[in-house]
Amino acid sequence: MSAKKLNLKDKYRLLTRDLDWDFSYEDRKDAFPFEEFEGIKITDWDKWEDPFRLTMDAYWKYQAEKEKKLYAIYDAFSQNNGHLNVSDARYVNAIKIFLTAVSPGELAAHSGFAFTGRQMGGIGARIAAQMQSIDELRHIQTQIHAMSHYNKFFDGFDEFSHMHDRVWYISVVKSFFDDARSAGPFEFMVAIGFSFEYVLTNLLFVPFMSGAAYNGDMATVTFGFSAQSDEARHMTLGLEIIKFLLEQHEDNVPIVQKWIDKWLWRGYRILTVVAMMMDYMLPQKVMSWKEAWELYFEQAGGALFKDLERYGIKMPDYTDLIKAEKEHLSHQAWWTFYTNSQATAFHTWIPSDEELDWLSEKYPESFDKYYRPRWELAKEMAEKGERYYNEGLPQLCQTCQIPMIYTDVQNDPRDIVYRSTKYQGERFHFCSDQCQHIFENEPEKYVHAWLPVHQIFQGNCGGPGGLEKVMDYYKLDVGKANMDYVGSPDEERWKNWKGVA
Amino acid sequence: MSYQVTIEPTGEVIEVEEGQTILAAALRQGVWLPFACGHGTCATCKCTLLDGYVEHGDASPFALMDMEREEGKLLACCATPESDLVIEADIDVDPDFAGYLVEDYQAEVAAIEPLSPTIVEVRLKLDRSMQFQAGQYVNIALPKVDGSRAFSIANPPSIDDEVTLHVRLVPGGAATSYIHNELKVGDSVDLSGPYGQFFVRTSDDKDTLFIAGGSGLSSPESMILDMLENGSTKQIYLFQGARNVAELYHREKFEALEQEHDNFHYIPALNEPAADDNWQGFTGFVHEAAESHFEGKFAGHKAYLCGPPLMIDAAITSLMRGRLFEDDIHMEKFLTAADGSSEITRSALFKRI
Repeated sequence: MSAKKLNLKDKYRLLTRDLDWDFSYEDRKDAFPFEEFEGIKITDWDKWEDPFRLTMDAYWKYQAEKEKKLYAIYDAFSQNNGHLNVSDARYVNAIKIFLTAVSPGELAAHSGFAFTGRQMGGIGARIAAQMQSIDELRHIQTQIHAMSHYNKFFDGFDEFSHMHDRVWYISVVKSFFDDARSAGPFEFMVAIGFSFEYVLTNLLFVPFMSGAAYNGDMATVTFGFSAQSDEARHMTLGLEIIKFLLEQHEDNVPIVQKWIDKWLWRGYRILTVVAMMMDYMLPQKVMSWKEAWELYFEQAGGALFKDLERYGIKMPDYTDLIKAEKEHLSHQAWWTFYTNSQATAFHTWIPSDEELDWLSEKYPESFDKYYRPRWELAKEMAEKGERYYNEGLPQLCQTCQIPMIYTDVQNDPRDIVYRSTKYQGERFHFCSDQCQHIFENEPEKYVHAWLPVHQIFQGNCGGPGGLEKVMDYYKLDVGKANMDYVGSPDEERWKNWKGVA
Repeated sequence: MSYQVTIEPTGEVIEVEEGQTILAAALRQGVWLPFACGHGTCATCKCTLLDGYVEHGDASPFALMDMEREEGKLLACCATPESDLVIEADIDVDPDFAGYLVEDYQAEVAAIEPLSPTIVEVRLKLDRSMQFQAGQYVNIALPKVDGSRAFSIANPPSIDDEVTLHVRLVPGGAATSYIHNELKVGDSVDLSGPYGQFFVRTSDDKDTLFIAGGSGLSSPESMILDMLENGSTKQIYLFQGARNVAELYHREKFEALEQEHDNFHYIPALNEPAADDNWQGFTGFVHEAAESHFEGKFAGHKAYLCGPPLMIDAAITSLMRGRLFEDDIHMEKFLTAADGSSEITRSALFKRI
């Protein structure tokens, strides 16, 4: 009788069996010191279902093949002066944001997964997290290489790594990942593995990658596809961790609910910049932010939460607020950057009349009433030589570090939301109830947050002496990499290459 | 024009229409395959082609690299068959699956008896014996009806030369109308089987509950009779849901079994008992009866669900809230013409439920 054919699961188990340590003379708890301190109860790691079955041997083989293909395309892109094929040089500002704000997040995720890949007690979970950790490292490297071609021809790319620890709006993303990485292993997995990589990933990557495709950016499209082929593992890992935690013990349910509430909100706040990119920065538009939110969150996320409900997990109650904010988010963000672009590492511009019409059509509830008049005024002022820049520094939210730009969209969208609370005699400010709740739940984690505006006022960003010192501290080429696109060296070079006067 | 695609290692067979992707066909036919993005970029649905030809469609060259295409890999979400296929997917074979061969049989109608105002029992005498696992189903071809229809076998496998079916009349359903109105004793029909992954996990020693609705009593009846005949010592609970006393068929049979076997417990539930039913039992939906009986705590059991989609859905919710999860929930959904074929947006959270 022939031996019964092994399925992939059994084959994988045989190949990876005994990779774990037995603890014969040391206490297992000393080896995994973080496994219990978050309150999560794991009763049986054997219930962990490997979300994918890949041996290290096969992993390296596949990844090497992907790299070969990817770098062949980068080379061709570079040799063919691929940057000349983008729809318009304004587009390049979208990928400046990607490199400065998103790519360092990949590195932070790399370090976070390396931590969980060490600290979770189950061998299957550890190996999955370790592979993801290596993927994330590959992602930042391939992104830097993809952008390096643009760096030869456009301003604003070269100091992305220096800027990451300093620049005001980039601190938003940095603090997000720092918050996750300084949590315990299970919170990190729910924060990044589930909330970000599974629930919100389509709202981050699809807009950037389709944006690249619509705007002729072959390099970015290609690294997008290459990275997405790794995402399968990331998404299934995110799903497995949530199922595993919820099924292991009923006491885990309220803890996981609190983490989902916190991390979907924090992730959503970060997506503000994606909303703005989609609606304002792409010369060839893919879809509006509002449409993307409806498609990827309200529909797909709705189906997910319907399934999660069976575990006793509820859709966060702020999703109604997000639904209302989708009419306003991108407009408030681009206005903020436009009026502060003397301190950004990318250019801004006033939407063209065509673009204003597109926005009016996509946002019938809000655009003509609240935002179009602003742009008409900005245009009038710019034409008179009175281009408006905000001279002051914005107040930042203590939790998400975003300037207090969000308005009370459910009541009067003209009123800024200000929330504050007192902790140990000091007052802290927030952009929303949600950010305030996150703070109040773990105040010690946020009281010492490195808030760029506070740091500037304290003289820690190049010393006292005004904005000029701060720009030096940021290594920002004032007048070159920032302010208006119109009249910038980027625009001038583009016109020369294209032979337009 | 359609192709037959056999999915190893379970051996399930699906029909894939010309131009339809393997994944779309599988999910529509209740066969779960791993998937995530659904458009060829993430590679979650990568399978191995063992036999036949496919068109790779829009599979991204990074998700399905050239060397993988040469090795015979495919992405189920993009691949369309160009011949009958055998593929191997990353799915598990249940150790309790016996894998009896699917064969074609000729059958003669031996009896048609009403069980309730809407359900008839059809006994089909087979031309030879058929090995099957209690809970599995057969596909029947009927005159004047396009394609075949699936019906669960209600008799235990110890009776191997006939199949007994419980058929509810579905308004507008061509096959069930034919069976109720035109099929006669002595008629001959073609059938094939056995099919399905719904069977008792005998290697599992947990106490077992069955939740059945309407004609979905058929599979559980076969499974319970089989378990009791084989001397199972597990505690076995049957929750049977019906509208009223007239629809609650085989009640006497199960009440008698309950008397005979200490480990068998029968809990019928009526959601709309008639005034003259004098109903003393549980009033409400069948999943509510189970919740009430177990005080909402199901951990440590095995559950088998059989019936219409809404009942199954409600029962899964009750079981999961009572902390019984996917690994211990098995089901057979009775989809009918009335359920339509509308695409349901589903997440990738659950594999089988």
